[in-house]
Amino acid sequence: MAISETEAFTAVQEAVVGALGVDEDEAGPDATLMDDLGAESIDLLDILFRIERSTGIKIQAADLSTYIQGGIPDDEFADGNEMISEKGLEQLKKVMPQIDPDALRGNLEAEKVISLFTVQNLADMVAQRSNGGA
Amino acid sequence: MGIDVVGVRRMARLLEENHGIEDTLFTPGEQEYCRGKRRYVDHITARFAAKEAVLKAFGTGIGQRMRWTDVEVANTSSGRPVVRLHGEVAAWAESHGLADVDVTLTHSAGIAVAHALTVWADDGPRRESEHALSPD
Repeated sequence: MAISETEAFTAVQEAVVGALGVDEDEAGPDATLMDDLGAESIDLLDILFRIERSTGIKIQAADLSTYIQGGIPDDEFADGNEMISEKGLEQLKKVMPQIDPDALRGNLEAEKVISLFTVQNLADMVAQRSNGGA
Repeated sequence: MGIDVVGVRRMARLLEENHGIEDTLFTPGEQEYCRGKRRYVDHITARFAAKEAVLKAFGTGIGQRMRWTDVEVANTSSGRPVVRLHGEVAAWAESHGLADVDVTLTHSAGIAVAHALTVWADDGPRRESEHALSPD
């Protein structure tokens, strides 16, 4: 069942508010789930289950990294020093359009990428999934 | 080596507010073992921490097609926890040369902690997924 971008955002925001106990104002589109809202892995599980309940769209924790990485192999997504590659930055800009690749070039560690993922980014993922996207 | 800490009250709320999530996270054996304990949530929280600790020790988070139930914490007759791997996690571990994995669990004052220690046949292939995009 396809849902609109607005419906997807509402579902994600409600899930974030319910799981993390934050105010709706705090769970705005630009809030990052990990850094700004303090979500841990158990919270992500909670958020994803709530989204599934309200929308019927199943997203597993593992899907987040797959979605962010866009199918690019690990050794192409980041260089030998675990910094995101140019190819990786291009992919990140697609799924996290708020990032500034110029500011991140050469100094974004792969393990830090998930910390940039926002409420809006998750809503975009849900909307894409509802339309049959990967 | 991997370590994870989970709040018991946080797990209790997760279970209360997401009916059916236990079957996604825990094997029937894990659930049955914990139901036999007076402090069910403490024990089930420790098992969740153990799953996270094992995956951290592997240098990866839960990957594509992996299930939480692929990492199972069982207990010997003496009560010592042992890790059993299934499905995609077992396949990943085998292909990357896992020789052994051990885990210790504890829970007290509303916190569950798990340590996992892995032994590898060699130190090569497991490093390739070191930068997996997994949350803490």
